[in-house]
Amino acid sequence: MLQNEHLDVRAVNMGVDLFDCADRDIDRACKLIREKILRNASPLVGVCESVSRRYGIPVVNKRVSVSPIADVLAGHGKAELLQAAKTLDEAAGEAGIDIIGGYSALCQKGMTISDRSLIESLPEVLSETKRVCASINAASTKAGINVEALLLLGRIWLEIAARTADADGFGCCKLSVFANIPEDNPFMAGAYKGIGEPETVINIGVSGPGVVKRAIERLRQNHPNCNLGDIAEQIKTTAFRVTRCGELIGREVAKTLGAEFGIVDLSLAPTPAVGDSVGEIFEAMGIRHVGGPGTTAALAMLNDAVKKGGAFASSSVGGLSGAFIPVAEDSSLAKAVEEHHLSLEKLEAMTNVCSVGLDMIALPGDTCAETLTALAMDELAIGIINRKTTSVRLIPVPGKKAGDRAVFGGLFGESPIMTIPNQTSDSFVCMGGRVPAPLTSLNN
Amino acid sequence: MKEYIVTVMALDRVGIVRDVSSALSGIGGNITHMNQTVMRGYFTLIVSVEMPEERTQLEIRQAVERNGDVGEFEVNVRPFVEPHPSVLRPSERFVLSLRGNDKHGIIASVTSFLADTGINIDDFYAYIVDKRFIMLVQVSIPIETNLNNVQSGLEQLGKEFELTVHLQHENIFRATSEVRPMMEFDSATR
Repeated sequence: MLQNEHLDVRAVNMGVDLFDCADRDIDRACKLIREKILRNASPLVGVCESVSRRYGIPVVNKRVSVSPIADVLAGHGKAELLQAAKTLDEAAGEAGIDIIGGYSALCQKGMTISDRSLIESLPEVLSETKRVCASINAASTKAGINVEALLLLGRIWLEIAARTADADGFGCCKLSVFANIPEDNPFMAGAYKGIGEPETVINIGVSGPGVVKRAIERLRQNHPNCNLGDIAEQIKTTAFRVTRCGELIGREVAKTLGAEFGIVDLSLAPTPAVGDSVGEIFEAMGIRHVGGPGTTAALAMLNDAVKKGGAFASSSVGGLSGAFIPVAEDSSLAKAVEEHHLSLEKLEAMTNVCSVGLDMIALPGDTCAETLTALAMDELAIGIINRKTTSVRLIPVPGKKAGDRAVFGGLFGESPIMTIPNQTSDSFVCMGGRVPAPLTSLNN
Repeated sequence: MKEYIVTVMALDRVGIVRDVSSALSGIGGNITHMNQTVMRGYFTLIVSVEMPEERTQLEIRQAVERNGDVGEFEVNVRPFVEPHPSVLRPSERFVLSLRGNDKHGIIASVTSFLADTGINIDDFYAYIVDKRFIMLVQVSIPIETNLNNVQSGLEQLGKEFELTVHLQHENIFRATSEVRPMMEFDSATR
């Protein structure tokens, strides 16, 4: 029975191209942006609900992502970009959308004037808007790591946190910094509408991790002697079903809205709700404490089996397509941190075999900008060398120290503040410049 | 040749389908469709059979009855006629499922609602497991029907009988179970 499996569609994301809204007059650009978002996105929630009812499958999040604003509004300064961010916020609100992504800059090799302005506007944007999410691509396998951008971001993270200090630095939850950012990712905060994408496109995120957890539990209950290969097979079969479910819903939503169907993202995206956790999948697989020995192997097997099932189910797999391990958004991971089973170092190791990276990591408020930069560099280095996407969502929590609790609320969850073991890398990161593209980039 | 629909009901045992089909074959019949089910030890069979023009309904019934013990088979024979127009309207297949504690009148109420809404039942299973009533119904909903009204009506019945009710397009079951290209599950957009 589908009901017993709790299948859902985690995210329906509509990508809207905004390049035809570019204008030297910012008022006119904002007017065009607002009109275009409302024209395309206003029916999204209603259509998702109608398709959801038709198939009896809940659609959890309905979101919009737009073309990278630093490119759409190239030539504009910080004040104009802030105005555009407020336009995005208002238009999303009018269209009934809770989160809009694409306040983004792609600066893996260097920053344009508008890339820099956009990054500098983030403290105001992420504290003065409600729905806008931002993403910065600061590294890629082809370009290396833009350390200048990460040094700027180190300072910006602290400013965003300071401006949202009464909410434990919540503004930082709405900023993802990437290596190899995908153009068709449906998940926030990192979703933006890629430059190579169609005019309007529907990208789908498959069911949450609870479906996989229950499938493993069922298997182990019915076959107590099953081995790891059997569990991988069960995950693969489940991934086939959740992918098919996502694609069916996505195709119908796209068709009804007159948009193109883009991709199904196979990522298992947790929420703070109990039963909807990637950490609980590890527990179902027999890992007693998430973060203990075996966790990386379990995650590797989970991620691989999900891809195998999903790739057979759909010819349109894309986005990030890997399990997420966002600490604050996953109650089981947050608990493992609290009980000292899961450390920053182990999380970093885990990101070698999954997506996305050091995600939703609450850090001590007195962490210095250079340490934030160094943490981001480590994570993005994993991405560029392994030719995969990695990202960081770091939240320095003002006035709080390691072991205290940060509470972000809603889907952003809560987490203990993690310990950074050694903060002496300043002279390394402050040299700045760019980490060159790795040898693996020379593949032509 | 003339087409007949034959139904047989009996207490289930090994060999009933053989007895019925050999009886029909023995009087010159050619079976074109057959469907059988067993519920709580009772067997039912529905057969579409082509018969030589000279055979009568009575002869067909008696031929089948003779192949069972005395009084074993309850046989009904009717000439085949084209389906009723109400089941020929362009429709989409949905699966209706209800679960909860058994109560008096659930099936009568739900099927009354479906009939009043012009929805035809194609397949129907209802059973009780561990004191829980489960009902699975495959229905054809005419494409002009307002699906929201149907969903609301069923939800209302669910509340009345304290049942969990789901009405889902069959493609969600097919797409997640069948290994076929996705384009085959592309259904009409309401």
